[in-house]
Amino acid sequence: MVDVAVIGVGQTRYGMFPERTLKDLFHEAAVNALNDVDKGLDPQDVEEAFVGTLSTGGAQLGNFAPLMMEAAGMIGASARHIENACASSGYAMRDAVATIASGQANIAVAGGIEKMSDLPREKNRLWLGISGDVEWERLAGTNFAGIYAMMARRHMHEYGTKKKHITMAAVKNRNNALANPKAQFRAPLELDRAMKAPNLASPLTFSDACGITDGASMVIMCRADMAKSFTDQPVLVVGSGGASDYVAIHDRPSMTALEGTKRAAKRAYDMAGISAKDVDFAEVHDCFAIAELLAYEDLGFCKKGGAGKYIESGATARDGKRPVNNSGGLIAKGHPIGSTGTGQVYEVVNQLRGRADTAERQLPNVRFGLTQNVGGSGAAVAVHILKAVE
Amino acid sequence: MTSYVSLPMFGANVDERLRLIAGKCNGCGQLAYPQRPVCTKCGGDQFEDTPLSGEGSIYTYSMVAGNGAPSEFDDEQTMTGDVLCGVVELKEGPRVMVRLADTDPEQLEIGMKVSAVVRRLYDQEGIVRYGTKFVPQKS
Repeated sequence: MVDVAVIGVGQTRYGMFPERTLKDLFHEAAVNALNDVDKGLDPQDVEEAFVGTLSTGGAQLGNFAPLMMEAAGMIGASARHIENACASSGYAMRDAVATIASGQANIAVAGGIEKMSDLPREKNRLWLGISGDVEWERLAGTNFAGIYAMMARRHMHEYGTKKKHITMAAVKNRNNALANPKAQFRAPLELDRAMKAPNLASPLTFSDACGITDGASMVIMCRADMAKSFTDQPVLVVGSGGASDYVAIHDRPSMTALEGTKRAAKRAYDMAGISAKDVDFAEVHDCFAIAELLAYEDLGFCKKGGAGKYIESGATARDGKRPVNNSGGLIAKGHPIGSTGTGQVYEVVNQLRGRADTAERQLPNVRFGLTQNVGGSGAAVAVHILKAVE
Repeated sequence: MTSYVSLPMFGANVDERLRLIAGKCNGCGQLAYPQRPVCTKCGGDQFEDTPLSGEGSIYTYSMVAGNGAPSEFDDEQTMTGDVLCGVVELKEGPRVMVRLADTDPEQLEIGMKVSAVVRRLYDQEGIVRYGTKFVPQKS
């Protein structure tokens, strides 16, 4: 297999942009990524493109990827749309890595986009409820908040996890986002106030959830042996793992773990030749705060059932031993569905190169960074491990 | 609002949904409910229809705040506000995501005994959709 390197990353600010179009947002992410290739790259040299999106409620179902490539000014590339719900661009990343690793292409891009603000609220509920097992989960009247809430309640029941441990993840991420100029929610949040937020889906409250977000991101990759001709600071993709699981949570033997994360992480760790203890920092899929706690356990950062104590210890804070969601995560940086996976890679690559947008949130001495991107309630998971080049 | 669960799709598994018919694997005897094309235990794909008792216990649950449930439940949400959902572990073993009814959320707890009743879920395209809800067992 050919080694793969990231040579440029780009991301729009995440937020609500009613005046902007899908093309406009994707164009900005692409320009950002191209400008990030220090020594320059001709957009026409991009051979393969993978674009993750949940199609923004059906706004553009067919030929989505060629349309986005047109907006990116990368006309002619072999482009296709990748969909795995909220893990769409995590899978776009996997496929772009695979196409280079296999020797099929020298230069490939992975991107992602969603524009959720244009949809009326009932349409969003219609659309966002379609990534579960529709016939059973949807007809039980639940949404994804309800599904994650049911996992949270089991975790509390089986391991004595408290509601405050869950909400601590949301509070940490909201406060991390204060220093991230590209984050959507940049207002401080205190635990006391978060604990008093209105019910969303018990035991989860509004503070424990991500919002509705617009945004796009892009990662440009090439064969590692070509990387130095594009940039002095390439970042290696040393691990890429994907896995799926039963879509409906009632079919899973356990509701307190995402088997998809465990399987995908094992594949990524094995490929990288490292274990969880080597991971210096991570961007994980905290669509709801409980998901971050499950990720700690499933990725091997702490023991099964120990996530509550682990977050309480401060280990995953910005100044902790292994910072998690230093960007603000999905809860505060934002979760424009299709953009999330490559948006996580954007953050990890910048941290590994020592190029965080503000000095305050640059993590010192980081070597291995991990991303975990989850589709639905764990039906599809993509994990990537990136490594700084010394 | 239209739903993605069309009338034919709804009708295709009405026996499972309203009469609680599980599939018993001819190879290993494991029950599949909801039914599935392949047995998760032995990989077999031949099943025998087997009715379930409709009794079970609450495995987990959540009160989904008003207007959070899928839009086909809007009439109900307008009238009653929140929607109570949960996963029930059936006496025979399988678990299923369901609506819970006839109970106060404060009285619910994991392990509580419940049983199935046929209730109206919502109406759409001029046709009432019935489904199974679970209610506390009378002691």
